[in-house]
Amino acid sequence: MGTLPPLTDEERENLIAYLDGELDEKTARAFEAKLNRDPRYRAEADTLSRTWSLLDYLPQTEPSTAFGTRTLESVSAFRPATRARKASWHRQPWVLGTGWAAAVVVAAVLGFTGVARWTRWAHPAPPSMELDPADADEQLARDLRVIENQRLYEKVDDLDFLRKLADPDLFGDGS
Amino acid sequence: MGEAFVAAIGQTSAQLALRDPDTRLMLGVRDDEPGAFEELVARYQSRLVGILHHLVGNADEAEDLAQEVFLRVYRARKKYRARCKFSTWFFTIANNLALNSLRSRQRRPAVQLKTSGADSSGLRPAEQLVADSSGNQPVRRIQQGELASVIRQAVEGLNERQRIAVVLNKFEDMNYAEIAEVMGLTTKAVKSLLCRSRTNLRAALQNYIYMDGQPVPEAAADEKD
Repeated sequence: MGTLPPLTDEERENLIAYLDGELDEKTARAFEAKLNRDPRYRAEADTLSRTWSLLDYLPQTEPSTAFGTRTLESVSAFRPATRARKASWHRQPWVLGTGWAAAVVVAAVLGFTGVARWTRWAHPAPPSMELDPADADEQLARDLRVIENQRLYEKVDDLDFLRKLADPDLFGDGS
Repeated sequence: MGEAFVAAIGQTSAQLALRDPDTRLMLGVRDDEPGAFEELVARYQSRLVGILHHLVGNADEAEDLAQEVFLRVYRARKKYRARCKFSTWFFTIANNLALNSLRSRQRRPAVQLKTSGADSSGLRPAEQLVADSSGNQPVRRIQQGELASVIRQAVEGLNERQRIAVVLNKFEDMNYAEIAEVMGLTTKAVKSLLCRSRTNLRAALQNYIYMDGQPVPEAAADEKD
């Protein structure tokens, strides 16, 4: 056995690739045949596999309990500011109050307008009380003397006082 | 025609990536979905700290690096595209950071002496283990903690690239193509890298391979002699 030459670098590379399942099916079968008939391949495969298995003895390091929190805190400095603003604006009490007040005002205006329109629709206005232009002229002519003396009448407190003024004993024409 | 083919391939790989739940989670992080990043940290923190500990050999430094990885993931979230598995993208960032850390450590002589584990004999851990093996006295009753320490030294004795390839292959169960993507190498280069890594590890751990009393295969015994 000692007379056999050791594996070349290429042969060893292929052997390790075979152990790692990296060879295609055809090459892998060829290697299986070599392993069965060549003790050098078997010994090499055995020692390499055992060495690889020794790495399982390395303990798996777990992060400390504070690691996750610390990492998230370090990242929080890079969280987008706009996002923070977006997240916090709706928590401001004044924004909430103003929003509610605006909503109440809008509701009141809409309600008032709606009720007014409904009332107009449900109870239409009576026919117009305005006078005809001809009637208006007639009334104006009839009241002409009152209108002419309106300034004097304004100084009179009541109708009784006016009647007393008309008493012939007071301002009779003396005739 | 060629462009259409490439586009189709890209579309297919994107569709495959979207089947990966972690990729979908990362898309949630990209779109600032509440709780998505927290979920990502919860899912990956153990794996990442474990991997980085294997790479840098120090738990505190591994946590600091892991935190930096998450920070970079968050800051790069808007550039994330679902072209490959999320873990491949994620460990590419981790790999780059770990490499930077290991290289900056090498530029600091005092730290290098401490972390490379060289003793008064001036030998690196792997070399020391090989030197111990020349005594031809296998340690049969070694405690598990001691064994872990010896294995850790052997891993630390690998060069950076060998160590990263080993850790990704062994502990993240990545295939050669995924490792190649993470490390920016060809699949063939990864194959050679892993071969050299495993040969070096075997040399460093020679005395511990058959300590369970199993018979040494004939050819292996010949090689050892």
